Parts: sequence; structure tokens; C-alpha cells
Amino acid sequence: MNVVVPPPTDGGAPPADGDAPAAHDGTAHAGIAHAGAAHSGAVPSTGTAGLAGGDQPTGGDLLRAAVRGQRRRLAGGVVGAICHQGGEALVPVLIGVIIDRAVATGATSGLLAWLGALAADFVLLSLGFRFGFRVTVNASEWAGHDLRLRVAARVVDDRGGAEEGRLAGELTNLATSDVRRASAVNLVMPGGTAGFAGLVVAAVALLNVSIVLGLLVLLGTPPLLWLSHLLGRPLERRSAVEQERAARASGVATDLATGLRVLKGIGAEDAAVARYRRTSQDSLAATLRAARAQAGFDGAVLVLNGIFLAVVALLAGRLAAHGEISIGGLVTAVGLAQYLLSPLGMVTTVIGQFAQARASATRIAAVLGARPAVAGGRADPPAHPHGRLRIGGLACVDGLRGVDLDVAPGELLGLVVTDPDATGALLRCLARERDPDAGVVELDGVSLADLPPGEARRLLLVADHDADLFAGTLAENVASGLAADGPAMFAAADAPTRAAALSSALAAAGADEVARALPDGVDTEISEFGRSLSGGQRQRVALARALAADPPVLVLHEPTTAVDTVTEARIATGLRELRRGRTTVLVATSPALLAVTDRVVMLDGGGVRADGTHRDLLDSDAGYRAAVLA
Amino acid sequence: MTAPGGSTAGTAPGAVLLPTASGARTGAAVGELLRPRWALAVAALVAVAAATGVGLLTAPILGHLVDLAVDGHRAAAMTTPFLFLVVVAVVAGALTVVGESLVARLGEDMLAELRERLVARALRLPLERVEAAGTGDLTARVTNDVGMIADVVRSALPQFARAGLTIGLTLVGIAVLDWRFLLAALLATPVQAATVRWYARTAPPVYATQRIAAGAQQQQLLETVGGAATVRAFHLSARQLGRVEERSATAVRWTLSGTALITRFFGRLNLAEFIGLAAVLSTGFLLVRHDAVSIGTATAAALYFHNLFNPINAALSLVDDAQAAGASLARLVGVIDLPDETATAAAPPPQGTRAADGNGRRTARPPAEASSVVSTASVFSTASTGPAPAGVLAGAGQQVATARPVAPGVLVEPSAASVSVARVTFGYRPGHDVLRDVDLTVRAGERVALVGASGAGKTTLAKLIAGIHLPSRGSVSIGGVPLDELGPAATRRTVALVTQEVHVFAGLLTDDLRLAAPGATDDELRAALDTVGALAWVQLLPAGLDTVVGEGGHRLTVAQAQQLALARLVLADPPVAILDEATAEAGSAAARALDAAADAALRGRTAILVAHRLAQAATADRVVVLDEGRVVESGPHAELLTTPGPYATLWSAWTAHRPDAPGGSVPPLAPRRA
Repeated sequence: MNVVVPPPTDGGAPPADGDAPAAHDGTAHAGIAHAGAAHSGAVPSTGTAGLAGGDQPTGGDLLRAAVRGQRRRLAGGVVGAICHQGGEALVPVLIGVIIDRAVATGATSGLLAWLGALAADFVLLSLGFRFGFRVTVNASEWAGHDLRLRVAARVVDDRGGAEEGRLAGELTNLATSDVRRASAVNLVMPGGTAGFAGLVVAAVALLNVSIVLGLLVLLGTPPLLWLSHLLGRPLERRSAVEQERAARASGVATDLATGLRVLKGIGAEDAAVARYRRTSQDSLAATLRAARAQAGFDGAVLVLNGIFLAVVALLAGRLAAHGEISIGGLVTAVGLAQYLLSPLGMVTTVIGQFAQARASATRIAAVLGARPAVAGGRADPPAHPHGRLRIGGLACVDGLRGVDLDVAPGELLGLVVTDPDATGALLRCLARERDPDAGVVELDGVSLADLPPGEARRLLLVADHDADLFAGTLAENVASGLAADGPAMFAAADAPTRAAALSSALAAAGADEVARALPDGVDTEISEFGRSLSGGQRQRVALARALAADPPVLVLHEPTTAVDTVTEARIATGLRELRRGRTTVLVATSPALLAVTDRVVMLDGGGVRADGTHRDLLDSDAGYRAAVLA
Repeated sequence: MTAPGGSTAGTAPGAVLLPTASGARTGAAVGELLRPRWALAVAALVAVAAATGVGLLTAPILGHLVDLAVDGHRAAAMTTPFLFLVVVAVVAGALTVVGESLVARLGEDMLAELRERLVARALRLPLERVEAAGTGDLTARVTNDVGMIADVVRSALPQFARAGLTIGLTLVGIAVLDWRFLLAALLATPVQAATVRWYARTAPPVYATQRIAAGAQQQQLLETVGGAATVRAFHLSARQLGRVEERSATAVRWTLSGTALITRFFGRLNLAEFIGLAAVLSTGFLLVRHDAVSIGTATAAALYFHNLFNPINAALSLVDDAQAAGASLARLVGVIDLPDETATAAAPPPQGTRAADGNGRRTARPPAEASSVVSTASVFSTASTGPAPAGVLAGAGQQVATARPVAPGVLVEPSAASVSVARVTFGYRPGHDVLRDVDLTVRAGERVALVGASGAGKTTLAKLIAGIHLPSRGSVSIGGVPLDELGPAATRRTVALVTQEVHVFAGLLTDDLRLAAPGATDDELRAALDTVGALAWVQLLPAGLDTVVGEGGHRLTVAQAQQLALARLVLADPPVAILDEATAEAGSAAARALDAAADAALRGRTAILVAHRLAQAATADRVVVLDEGRVVESGPHAELLTTPGPYATLWSAWTAHRPDAPGGSVPPLAPRRA
């Protein structure tokens, strides 16, 4: 039996107290969300505000907001859809009338007059569809656009928490597929209304022909649909399971193609092909089972509809034979009995789509209302930070048991942590990606927890060794760190200052060498996540970005794991020089880096184990030697 | 023509995309798939046609019913047409079940064969070719294009078949009523034809751009969401959200352009509907006035035509899907028609002379390798007598014309697995040689470390030895046989390459391992895991060896994934193994554990180690230093340290902060051989 195991939680679960006291921190994201909304004239009033106010939006709230924001377009869409469906319903009616008033009577004037009416009906239905459908899609797409921006804004929100337990692919999927399904609520509305309009027109026409016939069709159709639905439900359920198995072939193929180099490396192509063939045949069998079920369902529905039509025809024929309805009435009745199935089908589809939209909206709402990873306070940051870092009694479930640490302003401290979990927890606490279970991190006497998280990160920047790069040139990537105020501040600085800061950061990180190896130097485009660079190149560019940011306190995590020895030594000297006078913490085990530090602290078993210079610790502490020497 | 966005989005500029088949070749490929299934195809066509034909009887029966009413028949006369209608419904329903099942069987069967042939070929393409195109190109074809065709086979094809048959048979029905009705109905055709032509011309570029825009939006979201922590750390949210907004808005606008096209498409079809319907009604009017047909017949003709609206719309709007599927199919056939790398295989694996220490070393291996031990045993029994080659290299054996002694189904015997690189020059681009006149000989069983700065050519040399690239000048031989004679499949089984790239195959952990040794027992898997020190954590996994790992399963750490890669190496049990920085990315503490695992995995093999950490170099029998594509130094670690040179310089940089590792006299790892 295969057991799919959820990925291990990284212990970042928030403490189980009540609702997070969320406070407004007035960061840029709200402005962005509004700028996005300007396109469609809608104001997403509940999204980011909902986060700030601490109340969680429900799926229903999101759908209502999507509809409300697009109500003018939707009104147009409904009118268009009614014209379209009403027009379609009138076609068989008009055929009956033409048979009655022209073909049966032979009156040319009747023919011309009613063909004119038919033409008018076609103009109505065609224009109705054309403009109704366009504004409807407009309404749906722009509502989706707004929703997508809200999701993105929530994920990158300063207080974090939305990514907790969700993979990047999952969130991207949420911002595309789920958003599309949720915003399709705007497609559903006109569709439902149109179906309803078609029903009304057909009903009036039928009842006009004959009350008995009208009632038979009107009362007979819903049970008929209900019956097919009942028939289809178990098949749909089964089909969903089979479809899922059928999709596996595609998953395995992608997986094997992605791991092609690994397969080739060990000559496992034949084994892989054999495995794929098995999966493919499994999928084939599953798909065929699903297809047979579907065929059975289609056939059954066909039989049901055919019998219903036969009954209507029988009754209408008998009424016509008794002279109770005209021949035209008979034609209309039979035509409408066939037509009615389509608007009724529309109404039921709409119900299904609405359920889907609701489910997607609920998933989106869960992300928008995700509990912030860190609460964040409102204290003012120190105006002129000196960079004194104090960690007091810091404890986390995953490996920190009361860490105390003081870093003097301007000090270059090495931090050796033996336990990877403890490293992760410490870095996440310092980066304000999570709150510690106990203890405090203070900068110049101000607790980071009392500051808005964005402000805290301006004062203390944690640069991880596998930090992501973004699409853009190498220079843009490094410059995005320049001055922690971000691009605005960057733009404000004069060009020579920027260039100087950029080039010294590049040089210190050894990224100048990377630039030289690239076709266009620092102006070379880097693809998403820096995939066009090698691991070592990526690491140096990311380090240059962190150095360019020049924060009062910089925490670097293993910045040289992927670079060669000579370059590592250069980087060690370079960053020592560049960070002179600025507080820097190097979380690393590489002796080349530790050798340039002023002091090294070693954490082991969740607390401080040793404290001294690298040289002294090497001489006096066997545990330290074991940890840092290969 | 414009390629679908999925493939172009992930492709690096300057990539040489995999080929796309011509229209004729694509059609022929469909023919090849169809030919063995002709009976099924005919049966499916007959069943669907019968179902459609029977269903179409409804309209004339209704027409007859109208006639009965017009002629003043009694109510009881309506019972017969009623019963006919019921019979028609039941028979049409039953035939539909049969027809749909057969169509699905036909389409899905062909699809399965197509995708199996595609994957089989894709996995056997020369890696060099795949890398030139960018792996994204191959993945996009295996995923998106197969998916596109599957969608069409599943939904569009049956719909199209039904709609097409409905249209055809209805037109026949109309003609049977009176041929003049058919003429009237066909008045709609010119408008429809013009509409489809216009749409087929206008729509594809719009949709292609729409797909590219959607891909760009997806990438931007993934980058922003996936890098959220970095975005927060560097205050990039305004910039990143601005980019998301821009790309999202672009994608929305292209979607709206596509919608506008659709509405115009249906608008024109509405016009065709009106023209046809008005013509049929007018014809009925005239024919009834001249007593050529009954009112019932005129009614039937009008109803027939009205019933054509939906199938015509369905069939014509599927033109788009059909075009897209055709493009996808051409991309798949393009890959399937590429030459298989084994097609170039010219010689079976060589059988060298067995060295005296060969036996002793093999017994030092874990007992996990029953399958390879068997093959080794057969080497022993047939050694140097060299019967006609067969086996491992399907279809390659007959091309051999050599006096070299060869055993059937056997690889290079470990002790014969020397590696020889002779005057090799290679560059990825003309004029930019990465390796220049490289000479390197690795004795069977020797362990050599390649050392040098980034860009010195270490990885390239490793790839050349593994046969992934062919040298532009010079040659690479294993056991004395040049790689181009050995052929790719045998090379692969003789030389294994474990790279930085870690990939855990989705599925059971045992399945992942068995890719390297399909016949291995659970005990052998355990032994291999134990060899690389992974057994302990594997047993702690939720379901032990039967845990589902990889995408969608239990996530392994990078270090665990690398240990798994080494366990695969142990299971594949190649005589020659190349490790290219396989332990470099793991971060210091874990890197040391991995060094030990790599050491165990390489034991008993001819090994080439691309050393990132000099600690790895110190344990090798010999160190080869590369600089700017040339071998600048070669010799045992201790010897090189005593002479001033590049290696001594590298080593002093490495040990500068490691007083405990002076001059390599105390290597960080236990010596390999006591």
C-alpha cells in the first residue's frame, strides 16, 4: 500500500493562542492592489484591508466582491444574454408561425412578413451574444485580475504566513486556476439568467399553444433533468477517479524527462521506458473504463430525452387531431420540447459552476486570510541605528533552548551552529519570518517584535545561501538590494554613488568575476530564479545583492557553499573590508570565513557552547575543531 | 509558424529546438498508428454513423405525425409514430454507447502508443541533442503537447465525429425529402466556408500570443510567490507586484482579444443560419404551393435544418482545436523520428584482459549486486574466447567486424576498465575551446580527482569521458575501446556519471532505486542504501522502503537525495564511475557525510572525481589539475604538495585556516585502503 506522507512541517506553526492581533503596518502592497483595481474601476475593499483588520474573508465574500466590482458590466452581460437566449427560443416558434401562416396558407405577404420577423430575431440573438458575451468575459477577467493581485500581495505581505504549508507551485496554481474558476462567477450569472430567460419565453409560447401541453413540457422537463443528473452522478464520481489515474501517465513522463540526466548517468533508460510503458497501459485501462462509463451515460440520456419527445409528440398529435391546437401549434410544441433541454441544461450547469467557483473562492480566502507568521508592532525604528544586536533567552521548539548573545556595533561575528534545525529556526527568527516561542531579539535596545516587520528587516537583513534571484539583468538584481528602501531610494541616489556602491558590492562578493564570464557582463539577463547561472555564480550574485543593501546589521548564512576555495578566500577578505564598521553575523562553518571574524560563537544543543576567537577555539575546543574542520 | 507558448517560454535564446515534422510526415505517422487498428476504426465509424442515422429518423417521423394531423386522422393514429419515436430513441441510445466506446478505444489506444513511442525515444535521445534544445523543450513536448492531443482525442474527436456525421446524414435526409431543399440549405455554405477561412487565418496568432502571455504571467507569479522570503527581505514587493500586475493585465487583454474573435466568428455563422433557414422555408412555401411536397415534408425540412445549427457550430469551432492538436502532433512526430542514439552504436562492449586483482576487489563489494555478479561470472566463463557478439546492444552486433574478443551480454569487466583520453580538444561553440589537447590515463581501479577553478573544464572533461559529448579532436577510450566504437548504450553501462543535479523520481523509493537495477531484490536495495549510509533514515521514513517520494510524495532533503543518487550508482554497479561535484551543494556538515558515502560507493571502481572540496582530492590516488582547458599538473596528492605549483597553491588556500590538516598528512577521511 502506498502511503503519501505530507511533507514534514518545519515547526513554524504559530503559537496556539487566539486570533492574531493583526495591526495595520501601512506597507506598499495595499497601494498596489488598488492600482490594479483601477483597471476595472473596482475597489477591492475587503482583501488587504481584511488582513489588516484581522477578519477573514470567506469564499462568499470574495464572490460577492467579484460581482459587486463588475456590476455595470454584468448588467450589460445579462441584457445581452437574455436577448440571445430569448432570440434562440423564438426561432422554432417563428418556424411554426411561418408554416402556419405562410406555407399552409400559401400567402406570399405572410411569408415575407414573417421572414422579416425571423431576420429581426436573428439580429437580436446575434448582437445579444456578441456584446453580452464580450462584457461578461470582461467582467470575469478583470475580477480575476484583481483577485490575482490580492493573492500575490498577500503572499509577499510583510507579515508573511500565506506560504506556510503551501508550495510555490500550489500558490501559483491558486493565483491562476482557482482565481479563474472563482472569477467565472461573473460568467455564470449571465448564463444562468439567459437560461432562465429562455425558459420563460418557451413557457409562455407553450402555454399559449395549449395549457395541457405547456404544463406537460414545463413540469416534465425538470424531473427529466433530475433523472439524468441522478444517473450521471455515480458515473461522474467514478470518472473523476479514473481521470486522476489517467493523468498519472503524464506526471510520470514529465518526471522522467526532468530527470533525464540522472537516468542517462546510470544508464537506466531501459528501466525507465519499461516503467513508463506500465504506467501508460494502466492509464489507458483507466481511461477506457471512464470512457465506457461516459458512453453509457450519454446513451441513457439520449434514450430518456427521446422518450420524452415521443410523449410530447403523442399528446400534441392527439390534440391536433382533436382540433384543439393548430398544426403550427403542434410544430411549435415539438420544437420547443427539444429546445427546452438546452436552457434547462444551462441552469443546471450554472449551479455546478457556481459550486466550483465557491470552492475555489474558499481556497483563495484561506490564503488571503492566512494568519500572519509574525504579528509586528508599531514602534518607531531607531533613527540612527548603531547596530548593537542582543539576543536574549531565544527559544524555539525546533532546536533553540534559550540562546543569549550580544553583538557589539561594527563587530564581525562568526556563528557556528551544529544543528541544521537550530540554524533554520534562528535565521527565521532573525529574519522575522516567525516569532520565537520565547525570548527577544533587540536592536539598539528596541525589540524587533515591536517594530513593523518591514522596518525590522530594513535594520537587520538575513541573506540566505540559497536566496532567489529574479528575472532581470545581473546589475538590476544586485541593485535591487541597494539601500534597503528599495527602488525608490535607489532612484533617488545619484548615479555615481549608485555605480560605486554597486561595483564595490560586486567585487567584495566575487560577482565581478561572474559578470566577466557572462556575454553581456553585468547587463546579462538572468532568467527566473537565476536558473541560467551555475550554483556558484548564483550564490555570488545573491551575496553581492545582500552587501549592496548595506543594512545596519547583516546576517549571512553560508554565503560560499558553492564557490571554489580561492574565490572563497577572496570573498572572506572582501566582505570583511566592505562591512567594516557595520555589524555582521556570519552563520557558517567554513574556516576560511571564520578566520576573518572578530569573534566566534558556537551553538550546540540549543544553547551557546563556546565563545572566543576562531584561533583560540581551534586550539582549545575539540568539538569546535570537529565542527569546522574538514 | 508560431510555436505554442509552453515550449518557447522556457527555452534559452540560441537553443536549437528539437525538430517538428512536416505535415505530410505527421499524416503518415497517424496512418502508421491507424493501420494496425483498421478493423476497430471501421467498426467505430459504422457504429457512430448508425447511431447518428437512427437518431435522424426523429424528424421525418415528426413530419409524418404532422401530416397525419393535417390529413385529419383520428387521435389513435398517433400511436404508431409515437412507438416509432420510442424505438428510435432506444436504438440510437444503444448504438451511441457502442459507438462512443469504440471511438474512445481507438483514440486512446493510438494515443497510448504515441506517448509510449515518444517517451521511449525521448529517453534514448543523445543527451547532447536534448541539452542543445534546452530540457524545457523536451519536457514541454512530453507534457503539454501530449496533453493537448489527449484533450482533443477525448473531447473534440468524438464530438467532431458525431457532428460531422450528423451534418452529413442530415443533408442526405434533406435531399431525400426533396433535392431542392438541399440546394436551399447549401446556400449557407459559402458564408460558413468564408467564416472558417477567416477564423483559421486570424485566430492562431492571437491564441499563440495569448498562451505566451499566460505563460509569462505564470512565470512571474511563480517567481514572486516562490521567492516571497527574498522579496520581503529586500523590500521588493512593490516592484514584484508591479510586474505581476503588468503581466496579468497583458494576459487579460489577450484573452479579451480572443473572445472578441469568437463572438465575431459566431456572428457570421448566425448569418449563415438565417440564410439557410429562410431559404429552406421559402423553398417549402413554393413547393407546397405547387403541390410538390406536403406541409409535413416542408416542416420536416425546416426542423432538419434547425437541428443542424448546433452540430455545425460545434464542428466549425473545433477547427481551432484540431489545428492546435495537429501542431502538437507534428512536434511529437518530430521527436519520434529523431535517430535513436543506439542507432549509431557500432561495436559491442569490449572485453579486456582481466587484471590479477580483479577478483579480490569484487568480493569487497556489498552483496547487493547479484545481477551484475552474474554478468561478471559469464565474463569469466567465456573470457577471451569471443563467440559472436549479441545481446546488450540490440541490432548493433551484426555491424561488428573486429578481432577483439567479445563476450555476449557483457560489459567491460571492472579490472579492464581503464580510461584513456588522448589529445582531446572540445568546445561547445566553434572557436571557443573549453578543453585543449587533454591527455589523461586512468588505470583500472584507480581513483583520480580533477581539480581546478570554476570554468577550468572539469565538468566538460567528465562529460566527454561519460560519452555525453564527442570530442572535436582526439579520442576517449574505455578499456582500450574508443567510445564511438563502444556505442552509447554500452558506454552508459560501463561509465556512470553522477552530477550535481539531484532528482528524486516520483513514486515508491524502491521504484526509484530499481531504475538502476530493475531486478534487484529488497535486500539488495537495503544493502546498497547501507553502503552509502542511507539505510538508517530510510527505515525511519513513514513506510520505510515503500515510502512514496519525489513530487507529490515525501520530500527528501538535498543531502538525502544525493545519497539516493549514490545508492543508485552502487546498484547500477558500473566499472567506471564519475562523480561531478555530487557532494558540493549540500553545505558543510552534510558534505562530510556525503564524502564518506561517495567514498563507499566508489570503492572497487575506476573513479574520476570532480573535486570541489579539496578534502575529496586528498583521498584520491592521483590528482589532476586543470587550468583553462589544459592539464597543468598530475600526480599523487602528497607528491604535488612537495613541488611548488598550482595544486600546492590551491591546497595552501584551502588549509590556510585549517591548522589540523597540514600538507595532507592527516587526510580528512580515513584512507581508502588500509
